[in-house]
Amino acid sequence: MTDPITTEVIKNALVYAAEEMGIAVRNAAYSPNIKERLDHSCALFDRCGRLIAQAEHIPVHLGSLPWGLHRMLEIVERDHGGARDGEMWVANDPYIAGTHLNDVTLVRPVFARGQLIGYAANKAHHADVGGSVPGSMPVEAADLFAEGFVAAPVRLVRGDCVLDEIVGLFRANSRTPDARSGDLRAQVAGNYTGERRLLELYERYGAQTLDAAIERILDESERRMRAALTSIGHGTFAAEDYLEDRSGEPRLRIALRLTLEEGCARLDYSGTCAQVPFPLNAVFGVTLSGVHYALRAVTDPTIPMNEGCFRPVEVVAPEGSLLNPRRPAPVSGGNVETSMRNADVVLQALAQAAPDRVPASSGGTMSNVMLGGTRPNGDTWAFYETNGCGMGARPARDGIDAIHCHMTNTLNTPIEAIEREYPLRVVRYEIAEGTGGAGRRRGGSGLIRAIELVEGSAHATLLADRHTRGAPGALGGEAGGLGRHSLTRDGIERPLPAKTSFAFEPGDVLTVQTPGGGGYGTG
Amino acid sequence: MGIDVGGTFTDLAALELWSGKLVVQKVPSTPREPHRAVIDALAELVSRYDEILSIEFLGHATTIATNALLGQLGLELPRIALVTTRGFRDVIEIGRQNRSEVYNLFVERPHPLVAREDRLTVAERIDHLGHVLVPLDDESIERVCSEIAQRDVAAVAICLLHSYANDVHERRLAEALGAAIPGLRVTRSSEVDPEYREYERCSTTVVNAVLTPIVERYLERLQRELQANRFTAPLYVMRSDGAMAAASQVVARPAAIIESGPASGAIAAAELGTRLQAQRLLSFDMGGTTAKAGAIIDGVALVASEFEAAGRTHSGRAVKGSGYPVRFPFVDLAEVSAGGGTIAWIDEGGSLRVGPLSAGADPGPACYGRSDRATVTDANLVLGRLNPRHLLGGAFAVDAARARRAIDVLARELEMSAEAMAAGIVTLVDDAMAKVLRIVTIERGLDPRYFTLVAFGGGGPLHVCALAAELGIEQAIVPAHPGIFSACGLLGAHVGTSDVRSVLASTGDIDAEEMERRFAAREERARAGLVEQGADAPTISFRREYDARYRGQSFELTIPYDRARDAVEQHFHAAHRARYGYDVPGEIVEIIGARLTANGRVASSPACRAEPSVRSTRSRKAERNLPKRGGATQHRPLWVGGAFVEAPVFERAALGPEACIEGPAIVEAYDSTTYVAPGWNLSVEGDLLLLQRRNDA
Repeated sequence: MTDPITTEVIKNALVYAAEEMGIAVRNAAYSPNIKERLDHSCALFDRCGRLIAQAEHIPVHLGSLPWGLHRMLEIVERDHGGARDGEMWVANDPYIAGTHLNDVTLVRPVFARGQLIGYAANKAHHADVGGSVPGSMPVEAADLFAEGFVAAPVRLVRGDCVLDEIVGLFRANSRTPDARSGDLRAQVAGNYTGERRLLELYERYGAQTLDAAIERILDESERRMRAALTSIGHGTFAAEDYLEDRSGEPRLRIALRLTLEEGCARLDYSGTCAQVPFPLNAVFGVTLSGVHYALRAVTDPTIPMNEGCFRPVEVVAPEGSLLNPRRPAPVSGGNVETSMRNADVVLQALAQAAPDRVPASSGGTMSNVMLGGTRPNGDTWAFYETNGCGMGARPARDGIDAIHCHMTNTLNTPIEAIEREYPLRVVRYEIAEGTGGAGRRRGGSGLIRAIELVEGSAHATLLADRHTRGAPGALGGEAGGLGRHSLTRDGIERPLPAKTSFAFEPGDVLTVQTPGGGGYGTG
Repeated sequence: MGIDVGGTFTDLAALELWSGKLVVQKVPSTPREPHRAVIDALAELVSRYDEILSIEFLGHATTIATNALLGQLGLELPRIALVTTRGFRDVIEIGRQNRSEVYNLFVERPHPLVAREDRLTVAERIDHLGHVLVPLDDESIERVCSEIAQRDVAAVAICLLHSYANDVHERRLAEALGAAIPGLRVTRSSEVDPEYREYERCSTTVVNAVLTPIVERYLERLQRELQANRFTAPLYVMRSDGAMAAASQVVARPAAIIESGPASGAIAAAELGTRLQAQRLLSFDMGGTTAKAGAIIDGVALVASEFEAAGRTHSGRAVKGSGYPVRFPFVDLAEVSAGGGTIAWIDEGGSLRVGPLSAGADPGPACYGRSDRATVTDANLVLGRLNPRHLLGGAFAVDAARARRAIDVLARELEMSAEAMAAGIVTLVDDAMAKVLRIVTIERGLDPRYFTLVAFGGGGPLHVCALAAELGIEQAIVPAHPGIFSACGLLGAHVGTSDVRSVLASTGDIDAEEMERRFAAREERARAGLVEQGADAPTISFRREYDARYRGQSFELTIPYDRARDAVEQHFHAAHRARYGYDVPGEIVEIIGARLTANGRVASSPACRAEPSVRSTRSRKAERNLPKRGGATQHRPLWVGGAFVEAPVFERAALGPEACIEGPAIVEAYDSTTYVAPGWNLSVEGDLLLLQRRNDA
């Protein structure tokens, strides 16, 4: 048994342990992607693999990390006889670890006096894991293997020694090997930090008190989640929206029936389109992350994130569909594009139950820009960034202009850094005024970013959405303005598709305009 | 004399130069007219003397800049204009594109300090090497001048792309504006923050511009009132980085004083560290609403180079995107909503929670008699740690029964005793405060076990033992007058300047001779500036540093400068190892900025005249005084480990130099109460109380 004060202290300590893991990863990481953009998440699990605390920076890891942990433990158990003391297991296969190849998951079983007491795990975005283009997100990929290096669960640490040959494998499969080994080392440090904190709690309170406290903590989150779901309403609500295929047709349908009943949420994606032979498929872990993001945002984000939050939520997505594809369908864009649309669809279903708690649809794309090439002196370079869009209008406020919405929240790269590090010049960076959907509340406007290639030769890849079908408005609000791509060459501006790749020549100016958010209400 | 204007109280600390005695005064703050409380405090002090011959030095900490940015009543921000490169008007609004709260669908950006219609652009372009690609033309300049003249703006900020590499266009604009509109206050980015990353530079520039009129008006008014009351001492203001600046300097760089108040507490602890020759101190300041922690190494409070003004914190860490980035150095403090007035409550899940809401000073804790919400102070009272009849040496009566009733309401809900509930509240607030101590040590690569904890503020000494124990710290100090300790930080003042110049080159590409010449020239300018502010020339010292990183990284570490490339690289590898646990020998090291910090004692400051005498506490741990239980003025029941014990209560003023008290015990003073927990000994060291963990504990 445990008293409420001790439970509260243990709960705070578990959350802090997860946060401290995150800081250990950030501190020890090499690449800016983790160090500055915080594209990583850390979590602690109990011995049954139940999530007990998570520090999440990027919503797309929410829900996908626990899902991935279960898959990994199953395979380690089935194929290797289980994880042993002194080991850490690594994987990036999206169909196991839960997101896309760039996200590398590392799991540490924690033992005290020979007994398994839990797991420390973290997931970090590695900037390049091979494949046909820098950044490992080729728009043309027809299957997973074209996207990059696939690692099934394998020991990275054995007998508390990092296995150099496995690090070597990751290095050999990346265009930036030093950053890979640096970031893997950071992930190892993060798990050791989590283990240390978990063991401290175990020593201080003993297994019985700790176990009892964890039960209470999970039950409490479940109770609060059920209460919050009940407060939204009950009934069955349907919502749908579309992603655009490579020809620009908005025909990739995401359909959802959400049933709210007695504090439970059931999400059924029957009617969602079949998986596609290009990288817009979202593995089921990514689908879950969109669901849990939306539910957390509409219910109560202060509920401690653990397995209790998942208990009242059931998600069904037909196998072989866009939201639960079969291996080896390509998935890199599922993480950045499909996850965004899914979040909006879940939110729009919730809006029917509680319209005053949900904004209109967002610009709904991360507007990925991937540029890479060769300088006149032969040096190669690669640049990747995502761009904010217009936020959907809120019931009592306009949407925010030019901001990362929903599933992403990274920092942009400063213009003065881009121009220093790449043969690029930014010629314009402004809010695309008036592109938010009209309504009683206006949707946020998108942004305009125009980039010129200064010298050498280069290749550009663009991956965006909402170029033919704008973000729907809510309750009579108008749709947000469309996104737009163009290339200015020799003084002539030509439109480009939302999903494309092309040769980028010196003097060319690439202009990316991101979509606006939907408006809210009439008048 | 030091005067620290806080949210609730304005504290004054004065050093009698003839006796070396410290005199203190506390008066209520006057938020709508903050200068009033300064005059009130001085008047109160004067009334205690027959005559004050002269005030030699007046150091001041103020929250005026923070309060203005937070939009506090009576401090509306003025309308300003921004001039920037054509095509980049919205950089200041877009920020870094992130949102400050990931799961809050109703999140807002910080209110823009300059409206879109007041953001003007000029056709011009400079590249990252400082080459002019598009020259700034006269027509653009004239248009901007006339548009600004037509607007009723109080100040103008200028921030053009890559101006850190070449400031020619910003200078031309500033000169033209100055000539066209006499008296216009102009802040240019290449002057206040000549470093790359356009959003942070622009934000720093805009924050400075918008604060200029407010801080100028405040300091003018304060100085006028001081003169009118015949206080003619030169006025110095504490900056965010812990150095002071003459009021005349602050007017041009108001963004440098945003964290003035918190810095003075850390500087007081740093001065104490110097006096005691302590290598590692942790300063811990717990007031009515917040607790702040900072690390002090070799008498120097650790400083960070960027913060977000008026931003929020989440469990002690700054929330990125919640405020206005300012790239001026500031004393690196972690802050949490935890203080005496912090409210305990039970959430929807049936869990006891403490904070972040605070009852502040009004209505205050339940025991103040104006509210029934249980606070940390009420919990301390129920446990017997605070005097159940009065505080402030008898000047302030408290209602113990009301405190108990408030705690009881929560206790019944969770089916526990009032004492267990009170102990639970204290445990949870200690837990929250331990976290900020961890943030400034463990998360910065420092091991807290090697630190001495300095606890001050009204509440610090009540919680010091538990916090030290939680972090594995063996020794803690409670300074004299912990309740006004921050004001003491304004006494040992030095004036300082610090600035950075953009370098952006790898160590191999730096011209050592040229760098040496530039540093020397900057030192001469800094020296002249400090002397002009009243610094004693022989006391002026300089610190040269580089901001460096490995190639491919996007964050920097500040390391000591050396003209030899090898030495710089060694410094960087070592710093990286210390901070992040590893280094990458052989990787190219890039120098991003060259940083110069200059410091000098103010000629008229007390530190140059008199040194209060205090014996060192070092090596004290070796000698073991025998604990005494006698000498207590009274006893009262104290809740310890699940039961009440009769514990001795001492009066601090009555403690002799040889006193050594074994916990559990209480030491009461006018402005704070120290709780000596079981397992701890307390002894007196000069004007300090020293707490040590017993080896047998």
